[in-house]
Amino acid sequence: MDSSAVEKIIREIEQFTPQSEVEHVGKVTAVGDGVVAIDGLSKAVMSEIVLFEETKGKKLASAMDTQNELYGLILNLEEDSVRATILGDTSRVSEGMTVKSTGKILSVPSSEELLGRVVNALGEPIDGKGPFKKTTLMPIERQAAGVIFRKSVSVPLATGTKAIDAMIPIGRGQRELIIGDRGTGKTTVAVDAIINQKYEPAETRPICIYVAIGQKESKTARITQQLREEGAMDYTIIVDAPASAPAALQYLAPFSGVAIGEYFMDKGRDVLIIYDDLSKQATAYRQLSLLLRRPPGREAYPGDVFYLHSRLLERACRLSEEKGGGSITALPIIETQEGDVSGYIPTNVISITDGQMFLVTDLFNKGIKPAIDVGISVSRVGSAAQTKAMKAVAGGIKLELAQFRELEAFMQFASDLDKATADRIESGRRMVEVLKQKNGAPIPLEKQVAALYAAGHAFFLDVPVNKVTEVEKQYVDFLDGQYSKALGEIKKTGLLSEDMKKTLNKAMGEFRLAHPELFSLAK
Amino acid sequence: MEHSYATALWKIIGAGTAPKRAISQLREHLALRGRLALLPRIARAFARHATRERAKNTLTLSVGAQGAAEAKREANALLAGMHIDRHDVETVVDETLVGGWRLEGREYLYDASYKRYLLDIYRRMTNRV
Repeated sequence: MDSSAVEKIIREIEQFTPQSEVEHVGKVTAVGDGVVAIDGLSKAVMSEIVLFEETKGKKLASAMDTQNELYGLILNLEEDSVRATILGDTSRVSEGMTVKSTGKILSVPSSEELLGRVVNALGEPIDGKGPFKKTTLMPIERQAAGVIFRKSVSVPLATGTKAIDAMIPIGRGQRELIIGDRGTGKTTVAVDAIINQKYEPAETRPICIYVAIGQKESKTARITQQLREEGAMDYTIIVDAPASAPAALQYLAPFSGVAIGEYFMDKGRDVLIIYDDLSKQATAYRQLSLLLRRPPGREAYPGDVFYLHSRLLERACRLSEEKGGGSITALPIIETQEGDVSGYIPTNVISITDGQMFLVTDLFNKGIKPAIDVGISVSRVGSAAQTKAMKAVAGGIKLELAQFRELEAFMQFASDLDKATADRIESGRRMVEVLKQKNGAPIPLEKQVAALYAAGHAFFLDVPVNKVTEVEKQYVDFLDGQYSKALGEIKKTGLLSEDMKKTLNKAMGEFRLAHPELFSLAK
Repeated sequence: MEHSYATALWKIIGAGTAPKRAISQLREHLALRGRLALLPRIARAFARHATRERAKNTLTLSVGAQGAAEAKREANALLAGMHIDRHDVETVVDETLVGGWRLEGREYLYDASYKRYLLDIYRRMTNRV
């Protein structure tokens, strides 16, 4: 400590006149499993933060050594006591401990300083890069924007995944559920969407928030590293409530994430938030509710588990111009068991969101990645936000794939097929290949348009099925080198004019001439 | 179950019913329902409830080892302002307070101890607030 600080302390002590500080307090009567019963605090309000007084009875030197202050969150108001959950280490709380009311509702710090950082569910940095200097406190529970302050979804949010951007388009302010069994690539789709935002111009690039709920620390560390390597951490915040964190923090993490997002939305920025995953949040909430002795309902979840998710996801919206025009796009993730989407939590979240993409184990095992079942995936509002260029090339893909799947099933029984049917099957097989994509390699919109345009114009029909992905990549690289101006125009205008179509046709012809060996099936 | 009976008993006695009458009514009620075996457990729950209520209403004045007389005088002035008889207050010497005093009870805490003040300064200096 420098001499000026010491002088300051001495001056303060010399000027000291004892003055009492009045606080509203209660006493801990029972503690266990992260939940405390507190006598008193009759004026406490729901969701209020309380402070556990750990320094009572301790000598000054020992009190100074106490770790950071320990807080609790009031979740039950009962006739003559309250129940709260401990936001930290339960072992630090003991019976008879004094609990102080703070009069504050739980809030998390938010500011531009959070970009590139990893924080816990209370907004405290956990990446070892030091504390934040200047932040604004955002309440974790806030009423979602009302109808008159909202605007309909009309601006696209490119995810960089061809199957999504073409068939299940997402708009800014939308809530699109990612649902599927474990190990089907749900997180990959979401993380690719974050990485893809690097292709957006800085002024319109959404701030990305990845909320990890009940995940392994190693998985979150891997995602953070991946985002850092891709240069995506510059516009990303990670909120981490790992599996080892108390249930209370896992329950709070999505609310903290959206509260941080609202800070940027209120400033007119667009935000993309991923909740990975809400099934684990529901489980944490169930644990907490049972410990709080709330009556259990279906599958032992409390009666308000629907409200838990609806009030969270309703906060994702697009604000009107008067309110700054910002938006929050939510991509909640739900993990199903054995592909059962009729479970309690999946059906709840399906009904809340504006669409869902199903990831299926069978497709994943067949090597179709992303394993999105486009037949049962839907985006209810996204088509209004799809660019005209994408609409022009993606219009018939869904139908083509649906017909292909039907014929593929039929083909198993039929030995002799007419030419039209055989062509449709061959075309379908190639379309499936075109829609395949590598993990962590999102594709910018203009390249997607070019690839899908080619697929829709029988460009890959003379290519063996197992070579389609490779040829597609070479073709896109060829366009990038020789026709970058045309790609730039598609990106800039979002249109696919007649002239542009002619340019793409010309490019396809040139590529075929330059690489005849790739089109080995040509007659 | 016994907790609910004990709370009810506490409430009706608090409302003015004579304890003897309240207990005989409770006994009759339990006998009618064949639950007389609960009586000893109700008695224990009642004792626990009474201890809790007493603790809730007790005011404790803790004074530091240094300047205890002055601290008591200051605290008594505060109690007089609150119309609380100082005989209702239990006084203890708490050496950890360093100096000053601390009055706790009935859901309020008045902390004028040197320890709180010194801890505040320490936390401000070490950016822990």
